[in-house]
Amino acid sequence: MPILQIKDVTKVYEGKVTHRALNQLSFDVEEGEFLAVMGPSGSGKTTLLNIISTIDEPTSGEIIVDGMNPHMLNATELAYFRRRQLGFVFQDFNLLHMLTVEENIVLPLTLDQQPLEVIEERLASIVEKLDLNSFLHKRPNEISGGQAQRTAIGRALIHNPSLILADEPTGNLDSNSSRDVLELLTKVNQDKQTTIVMVTHDPIAASYCDRVLFIKDGEFFNEIYKDDRRQMFFQRILNVLSLLGGGQVGDLSTIRLP
Amino acid sequence: MTFRQFAYRNVVRNSRIYGAFFMASFFSVAVFFIYSMLMFHPDIERGILGEVSLIGMVGAEVVLVLFTLFFLYYSMSAFLEARSHEFAILLHLGMERRQMNKLVFLETMIIGSASIIVGIIFGFSFSKFFFMIVREILHLDKLPLYVSWQPFLLTIGVFTSAFVVISFISVYFTRERKLRDLIKESAYLNSDSTYSKIRAVYGIALILSTYVLAFVVSNTSLIGLTLLIPFSAAFGTYYFFSDTVPCFLDKARGKREYHWQRYRLLSLAEQTHIMKDNVKMFFVVTMVSTMAFLSVGVLATMSSYTTQYDRLNPLGLVYKGDVDNPYERNHINSLRIQLEEKGLSYHLSRFVVVKQTSSFTNNEVEVFRESDMNVLLSSFSYPLLDLSSGQAVFIPYSEESLKKLKNKVVHTVLEENAIPLTIDSVYPKIVFPGSIVSVNSIVISDEDFARLIKPIADQDVLQPTYHLFTFYIPQWIESKDIGQDIDELTASQFIEKKGKFSPYYFENAGLNYSYILATYSLFTLVGVLVASVFLLAAGSFVYFKLHASLEREKRKFDVLKRMGLTDTELKKLVNRHLFPQFFLPWGVAMMHSAFAFIMVQGILKDIANISIVKEVFFAFGFFVLIQVIYFYLIRWRYISHIRS
Repeated sequence: MPILQIKDVTKVYEGKVTHRALNQLSFDVEEGEFLAVMGPSGSGKTTLLNIISTIDEPTSGEIIVDGMNPHMLNATELAYFRRRQLGFVFQDFNLLHMLTVEENIVLPLTLDQQPLEVIEERLASIVEKLDLNSFLHKRPNEISGGQAQRTAIGRALIHNPSLILADEPTGNLDSNSSRDVLELLTKVNQDKQTTIVMVTHDPIAASYCDRVLFIKDGEFFNEIYKDDRRQMFFQRILNVLSLLGGGQVGDLSTIRLP
Repeated sequence: MTFRQFAYRNVVRNSRIYGAFFMASFFSVAVFFIYSMLMFHPDIERGILGEVSLIGMVGAEVVLVLFTLFFLYYSMSAFLEARSHEFAILLHLGMERRQMNKLVFLETMIIGSASIIVGIIFGFSFSKFFFMIVREILHLDKLPLYVSWQPFLLTIGVFTSAFVVISFISVYFTRERKLRDLIKESAYLNSDSTYSKIRAVYGIALILSTYVLAFVVSNTSLIGLTLLIPFSAAFGTYYFFSDTVPCFLDKARGKREYHWQRYRLLSLAEQTHIMKDNVKMFFVVTMVSTMAFLSVGVLATMSSYTTQYDRLNPLGLVYKGDVDNPYERNHINSLRIQLEEKGLSYHLSRFVVVKQTSSFTNNEVEVFRESDMNVLLSSFSYPLLDLSSGQAVFIPYSEESLKKLKNKVVHTVLEENAIPLTIDSVYPKIVFPGSIVSVNSIVISDEDFARLIKPIADQDVLQPTYHLFTFYIPQWIESKDIGQDIDELTASQFIEKKGKFSPYYFENAGLNYSYILATYSLFTLVGVLVASVFLLAAGSFVYFKLHASLEREKRKFDVLKRMGLTDTELKKLVNRHLFPQFFLPWGVAMMHSAFAFIMVQGILKDIANISIVKEVFFAFGFFVLIQVIYFYLIRWRYISHIRS
C-alpha cells in the first residue's frame, strides 16, 4: 500500500506574473521506498516538497499521506501531523544555533511533551546508530558540514516519522561527507523501512535511491528504478538528465568534426 | 539615479525599519522643543518660576540631550547591524568605504532633518496646551503663547549637531568585518555563556547589600552612606545581568528533567543567548527606568506633601520670641497692620510657654496654659479643653505622635515647682506645626499654671520661658508676602551675629508653601520630561534590538513551523522570548526603586512626617499598566513580522 499518494496536484502561483509550478502531477510512494525527485531548476521540485510537507497547499488535486489527506486538517492538527508523521532534512541543515547537537536532536520530542525517559532512550539509540557521540555536546557552529547534516538526520529520525523529506541534503557538503550522509540515509531506509523522499540535483545522490522520478516544468517526465549495480543506475540517470536538459541535447551528433 | 537619490530612496522605501527610529527621535525633538519654549518664555525671565527652576530646566535639557545622543547612537548601530547584509552587497558591487560612510551620513541626515522639522511642528502646536498645564500647576494667572526665534534655533542647532555627531560615530565604531562574513549574514553566532561564579555572587551580594544599606540609612540617618548606594547598585545590577542570570540559566540547563520539557529547551537557550548579547542594553534600560520611576515617585511624594501641607500646618503665621525680646511689640504690630492692609481676616492668640523638668523622663517639657490654648482652639472651632487641677493633655507634634500618645498615661511631677500631674490623653488634632512645638509639650489647667513660679533648674536651657503668637488665617496661601521685613531682619542679623541665637523666630506657612510649591513644580516639569523620554527610550531599546535580530528569528520560526509548531505554541514561545526582555530589566528597576522609596520614606518620616506608600503604589501600578500595554503592542508587531 502506498504511504504517499500524489493525485493530479496542480499549483499555480497567482500574483503579478501567474506561474504554474506544478501541473497535474501524480505518483505514489510505497512504504519503505527511497525515492529521489530530480529535475532542472524551476521544475517545481521545491514546490512539490513544500506541498507534501503541508507548508503549502495545492491549487487542485490532493495528496494522501498514510491514508489521510493532511490538507483537510485544521492548522493545529496539521502542526501535530507534521511533528509526528514527518521528518525534515534541509540543504543548509537549519540547526538552531543556540542549542547543542544533543538538544537539537531531542527538540521534536520535547515539543511533543514526551517523558524524559523516552527522550533519553530514543536519543541513545539514535546517537549510536548515527555515531554522533564525539560531538554530542558541541554547538552547530563548531562541527563540520557532514556532522551537521548527520545531526539534522538525527533530528528528523528521533520521533520515528512515517515519511522523511530531504531537500538537497548533500547540496552543501563535500564529496566525502556526501557519501557518508547518503550511505546513512540508505541504512536508515533499509534498517527501519523508513520512507524517504529526497529532492536533489546530484545524480550521484540520486543513484543511491530505489527509484528516481524526473519532473520538468511541473510535469511528470520519466522514472527509472535501480538495478543491481549502482554504476549502471548512475549512467541511466545521466542519460535521462541529458534528455531532460532540453530539446537540443538529443540533436547533438556523437562525433564532431573539426 | 544620483547618489543622493539613492540614499533618499533607501530611507523612504525602508520606512518600516526607520519608522521606529524616526518616531523616537521625533519625540525627543518635540519634548526638547516644548521645554525650550518654556525656557525662553518672556514671563519666565521675569522670574515667575524662580532661579532654581530655570537652572533645573537647563539641567534637564542637558540630560535629555546627552541621553538622546546615547539613544540615537544605540539605535543607529542596531540598524547598521541589521542592514549589514545590504551593505555587504553594496561593498561587493564595488562601493568604497568612504562612499558607504557618506551614504549612512546622508540617510541619517534625511531622517534627522525630517524628525527635527516634524518634531518642531508637533512641539509648537502642542506648546499652548503644555503652557496651559504649566499654568495650572504653577497657579499662574496667564502664560500666553509667544513666537520667538530662540527655541527654534536652539532645537535645530542642538539636534542637527547631534545627528551629525551620531552618524559619524556610529559609522566609525561599526565593527569592520570581512566582506565574506557580511554576505553570509550572521550565520555564525557564539552563544556560549562566559560567566564567572565569583562575579555572579558579587552581583547578588552587591544588590542585596545595597538594599540593606538603604534600610540602615533610613533607620539611622547615616546620610553619608547614601553616596555609596548608586555605585553599589550600578555595579550590582551590571554583574547581575552579566553573570548572575547566566549562571542561573546554566544551572537550569544542567537539569534535564527540568530543561527537556516543552518549550524550556528552546526558551532557556534563547534566554542565555539574549542575556549574553544584551547585557549592556539591559543594564542601561534598568538604570534609566529606575531613574524614571524615581523621578515619578518623587513627584508623587511632593504632591502628597503639598496636599497634606494644609493639615500639618494649620497656622498661617507663627511668631516665637524670648520674654525680653526687644522687637516683640514692633513685629506683632507690623504683622497686624500688614494683614489688615491686605484685607486678610485673622485670629491672633498669644501664649506664654514655660519649660519645666518632668520627673517621669528627666527631660524638659514645654507647658502651655489651658485658657491660652482654648483661645486658639475656639478660633479653629475645634473642641475646647476642660482640665481640672493635676490633669494634663499632650500636644501632638505629628500624625504619628497622635497615634503613639493616644493610649499613653503618664504620672509625673514638674520638679521645679512640685506639681503632680496625670497626663492621660492627647489633643486629637494637630494644632501647631511640627517645627514650633517640642516633642514634650503638654497643656495644664490655669490653677496649676499659676503655680509655676520657679524657672527650669537646668541653666543651659535656652528660652526657659517664651512668648508664642499664632495667627490663624483662613486664606493662608495669600499671606506669603506678610512679614517679609522680619525675614529680612532675621537674615541680616544672622549675618551680623554669625549664627548667635536670635531672640525671635518667625514662620510664614504661606511663604514656605510657595517655596515648596515652586520646588514641586520644578520637579513636575523636569520629572515628567525625563520620565516620559526615558520610558519611551527604554521600550524602544528593546524594540530596536528585536528588530535587528528579526530575520534570524524568522528563519528559526520557519524551521520550527516545519517541524510542527502549532500557532498557539508559537505565541507561547514568542511570549517566553519577549517577556524577559521586557520585564527583567523593568522588574529589577522596580525592585531598585521600591527600596529607594523605602529609604526615602524612612528619611521623610523624620523630616516631613508623611506617608508616600499610597502614591508610590499608584505610580508603580500605572507603570506596570504601561509596560503591559507596551509589551502587547510590541508582541503583536513581532508576531505579525514573524508570520509574514
